[in-house]
Amino acid sequence: MIKLSGISKNYKIFSLKDISLEIQKGEYLVILGPSGSGKTLLLEIIASLEKPHKGSIEGVDNSKIGFIYQNLMLFPHLSVFDNIAYGLKMRGNKKMKVSETVVQTSKKLHIEHLLERNIKTLSGGEKQRVAIARAVVYKPELLLFDEPTAALDQNVKNEIQKLFRQIHRETGATVIHVTHDFNEALSVADKIAVIKNGAIVQFGTPEEIFNTPADSFVADFVGYRNVYSGKIEDNCFISGNIKIYVESKDRKKVYIAVKSEDTILSVEKIKSSARNSFHGEITDIEKKFNGYNIVVNAGFEICSTITSASFNNLELDIGKKVFITFKSSAVKVFCH
Amino acid sequence: MMKNMFIISGAVIVFFILFPLVGMVFSVSPQELFEAAFDAEVMNSIFLTLRASLWATIAAIIFGLPLAWVLVRLDFKGKKLIEGIIDIPVIIPHTAAGIALLSVWGRHSFFGRTTGISIIGTEIAISVAMFFVSVPFLINSLKSGLKLIDPKYEKVACTLGATPFKAFMTVTLPMLKRHLLSGSIMMWARGISEFGAVVVLAYHPMIAPVLIYDRYESFGLSHAKPVAVLLILICLLIFTVLRIIGERNRYD
Repeated sequence: MIKLSGISKNYKIFSLKDISLEIQKGEYLVILGPSGSGKTLLLEIIASLEKPHKGSIEGVDNSKIGFIYQNLMLFPHLSVFDNIAYGLKMRGNKKMKVSETVVQTSKKLHIEHLLERNIKTLSGGEKQRVAIARAVVYKPELLLFDEPTAALDQNVKNEIQKLFRQIHRETGATVIHVTHDFNEALSVADKIAVIKNGAIVQFGTPEEIFNTPADSFVADFVGYRNVYSGKIEDNCFISGNIKIYVESKDRKKVYIAVKSEDTILSVEKIKSSARNSFHGEITDIEKKFNGYNIVVNAGFEICSTITSASFNNLELDIGKKVFITFKSSAVKVFCH
Repeated sequence: MMKNMFIISGAVIVFFILFPLVGMVFSVSPQELFEAAFDAEVMNSIFLTLRASLWATIAAIIFGLPLAWVLVRLDFKGKKLIEGIIDIPVIIPHTAAGIALLSVWGRHSFFGRTTGISIIGTEIAISVAMFFVSVPFLINSLKSGLKLIDPKYEKVACTLGATPFKAFMTVTLPMLKRHLLSGSIMMWARGISEFGAVVVLAYHPMIAPVLIYDRYESFGLSHAKPVAVLLILICLLIFTVLRIIGERNRYD
């Protein structure tokens, strides 16, 4: 287990304020926050590249970490092979063992054909794979990712996120992954810590973070309400007694998300092409600057965002029974 | 319109530099040049010049790399002051620099009196004078090179198991190679062309600029010119070759 206690540091324009976190062995933690919130600095402190002014870190072995920076920082004067081999050489491995291990790792990441290439000639996705290979080749116990997919196209991004999940599964390494992208967080995270201006404002499972945001900052920043984890069978998302129609192949473990803006709230059942309709009681009404978030208990909590005009029109109040309706195409699926 | 005017005014500068040099080179007959080339005193003084400046450059690389790193990578009070100090040799007259050096390294200086050693009039004195006046060129080139290298390269090397020193040697230094080479060439060339500081510390043994001056004073222009042309041609040859090597070593 990795334990951060009271980490504080002032650093140029950023500062970290009293950060305490516990990360279980083998867990995939995403630190989610806007740029400028001190996320990179926190990772550098965990990797002992920067010293905190206050606080302590337990459970990190500096010789067993793998670090991937946003800009990857592949060594431009070395070939792909020598980049990947760097960590092995620094550990004093014999030449034979180095090349054996490099080839083995690059095969796994499908970059063995690139080994002789110059870094400058690689595409974004290839560079990403080389950076991953360099960071995992010596089998670190802790992987630290600093916005590693920020510069990639969406397609490549999905591919790399899949790779992260695969590496996490196969190596059993603990991962701390920093990002500002809530889609990415949902694709990989076991736990999420939301950071704002150098302080952690919420820590929990993806469902906790998205469905019960600690404050309006978290709610606005994470972008989704209505996040559920479960499985998909026959175009149907199933989790306990929840059943939601989706458009996706069968999956064993997924997160689904429905934007509260994409739902229709009505007092009477409406006949429409939308296949998902739930009936329940209003349990909470949150005033937003341009409308209301209405939380409904339909056997599970679901939130709908409506305008002030609609709110007055429908005469809503706590305890009132309403319907919430949305199309199956409004459901976003995140594979895990 | 503007483009043409700018090209013309640019050409004026290029012409201003090239005209006297080309003129001088062509005013010397091949025979005079050969005579100078086979004159042992001339060749010895040219080799002495190249060698003394090389020692100065090597010493500057050894001490200058850590200094440049400190100035670029660390933040501390008085950094601007130190950067200003390094630029002093560029802005003061070089004869004055020679006098200042004399007061430290001369026979009657504290160093000279306590140790009984005097470097005055030796190859070491020449290197010392050259070092003093030309080291800013190397330091400033290393600094501008280091500024272009993201410190995260060193950091990532540390996460891969390198010590900070190893990270510097295996990552930063190779990436700095081009600036190291061009800074060294600049410094070496500046050392070779030095006259004022060297002449105060060591008239003898004569480096080439001093020999040119000496022959001009004692025998006149016609005796100084072949030596000057020979020095120019040898320098041009060496620096052209080094430039080509430098360009080949680009990895970007």
